[in-house]
Amino acid sequence: MRQHARLRLIVIYVSAAVLMIGTVGPFLWLVSSSFQYERQLLSRPPQWLPNPIVLDSYREIFEGALLGEDSGVPYQSRIFLRSFANSFFVAGSVAAVAVIAGAYAAYPLARLDFRGRSTLLFGILASRLIPGLSLAIPIVLVARQIGMSDRIVTLVFINLSFILPYVIWLLQSYFKTIPMELEDAGRIDGCSRLQVVNRIILPLALPGLTSAAILAFMLSWGEFLFALLLAETPASYTSTVIVSLFATDVDVNYVSIITAGVISVIPPICFALVFQRFIISGLLSGSLKG
Amino acid sequence: MQANAARPRKEMSQGLLAVFFSAPAVLIIAASILVPFCIAVYLSLHRWNLKRPGREKFIGLENYIDWLGDSDFWEPLQTTFTFAIGSVAVILVVSLLIALLLNEKFPGRGVLRALLLIPWAIPSVVNALLWKWLLNPQYGLVNAVAYELGIITEYQNVLGSMPNVMIWLVIAYSWIHIPLATLLLLSGLQTIPGDIYESAIVDGAGLWQRFAYITFPLLRPMLSIVIIFEMIFALKVFDIIFVLTAGGPADATNVLGWQIYTETFRKLDFGAGSSIAMLLGAITLALAIIFYVFLDRGARPE
Repeated sequence: MRQHARLRLIVIYVSAAVLMIGTVGPFLWLVSSSFQYERQLLSRPPQWLPNPIVLDSYREIFEGALLGEDSGVPYQSRIFLRSFANSFFVAGSVAAVAVIAGAYAAYPLARLDFRGRSTLLFGILASRLIPGLSLAIPIVLVARQIGMSDRIVTLVFINLSFILPYVIWLLQSYFKTIPMELEDAGRIDGCSRLQVVNRIILPLALPGLTSAAILAFMLSWGEFLFALLLAETPASYTSTVIVSLFATDVDVNYVSIITAGVISVIPPICFALVFQRFIISGLLSGSLKG
Repeated sequence: MQANAARPRKEMSQGLLAVFFSAPAVLIIAASILVPFCIAVYLSLHRWNLKRPGREKFIGLENYIDWLGDSDFWEPLQTTFTFAIGSVAVILVVSLLIALLLNEKFPGRGVLRALLLIPWAIPSVVNALLWKWLLNPQYGLVNAVAYELGIITEYQNVLGSMPNVMIWLVIAYSWIHIPLATLLLLSGLQTIPGDIYESAIVDGAGLWQRFAYITFPLLRPMLSIVIIFEMIFALKVFDIIFVLTAGGPADATNVLGWQIYTETFRKLDFGAGSSIAMLLGAITLALAIIFYVFLDRGARPE
């Protein structure tokens, strides 16, 4: 039996090692590449670890943002930081609005008894079945006609509509776990429904709201299709758009491309590692990301 | 609402409250999903090309009929299915294996589970960039490793030839989709009570028998959910195609998502683009329903 236990551990740790390499390996290679000189990057066999650690590509991006055309760095590098800020604005606004509007929409679905409740819930979820591509065409057309394309506010609005259904679903299932007695106590003390939500439900649902906000942030951070289609000038690019421009441009050197990729995943990866418990619980109750 | 101090305050009906509470969210969703959807249906029934302004015209189902008789619809459809089936299969098998591993108790499994979130957190476009670099024909890590190990004698341009491009596209796409599937399957595994396995061991059931007669049947509802979700996502793939292959080489990865994009935003034919997008939506919906009915019935205990 003891031999059996040892065998089990060996199998487990060998598979764990394979899993570890498969999970973080590709990403670490990207990070490692971003700290090399272009000529080291292009060596055979590849140089595994950067030696020395070169920060030129990172410096280029900051210099480019500050000095503009005078810095002599490629165009994509110069506008990268601006797009990074745009991504923050979009993802942050989406997270804030989605959680607030989503919480009030989720409450009646979780707690009130009214006609059409299941229809409403189904309708909200079914809206996610329509492929974004088929909506993209009219959205772009209308946005151009009313002069709202090329604005990141429009992007916030569009992202909201895709993320709200998830947030509502997640929050209504979270609200259901809050004991009814607490709400009843508030009602007996004379709270209106709005006060019940604001003073009892929302504070108790803080972990659920946090999960929802983080997931909303991450989903809109990674959104690409609408960011691409609605952007007409560099002022409204998000980081995913810039990354795609970098990646499909053959004239830019590899280090710059890779560095842009690394910088644009820093926020979501930090979030993922710092808030992993919230994310995992949110994912399991909402089954997200598409 | 009239507040009256003497009597208990009269409240709105629950239905009215629901309307007020959910109005902002519902309006946002309606304005950017429902309204565009209706416009998309309208456009799909018209000749509507931005290159020929002023010539918009109602043509009924002509756009749809044209597509159904056009290899530019059927070939991308076939490519889409090849990609979707391949991806769902890879995601399912790999995430099931990882979930089975993480369901075992051993020191360090919490760390592994946390690290799984790294690929999940990477935006699809950055993932495409990452794989473009890994698969680079002159300097890519995949080439370097295969070369050093003696698997290949010279560096390959895998994104430039069939069927390699499809295989690597599936791998690259699956890499960021496996973590979520794994977490879902893991949560499914954790609902299976441990004493079922114990009594099976007492009865002399081996590892494979325990998997085939306990784990797999009990995990089936969660497996169905994962299959349906991943199928829906894979059918509308676009981001990774844009960066990694642009539909090439020679249309080898021209999926419907890419076809819709080029038709609409490069050829500016909004009518034709809308109708093919509707077709993709209808196929996705039909498959989701078929899968749901089929898998759900199969998963239900006898």
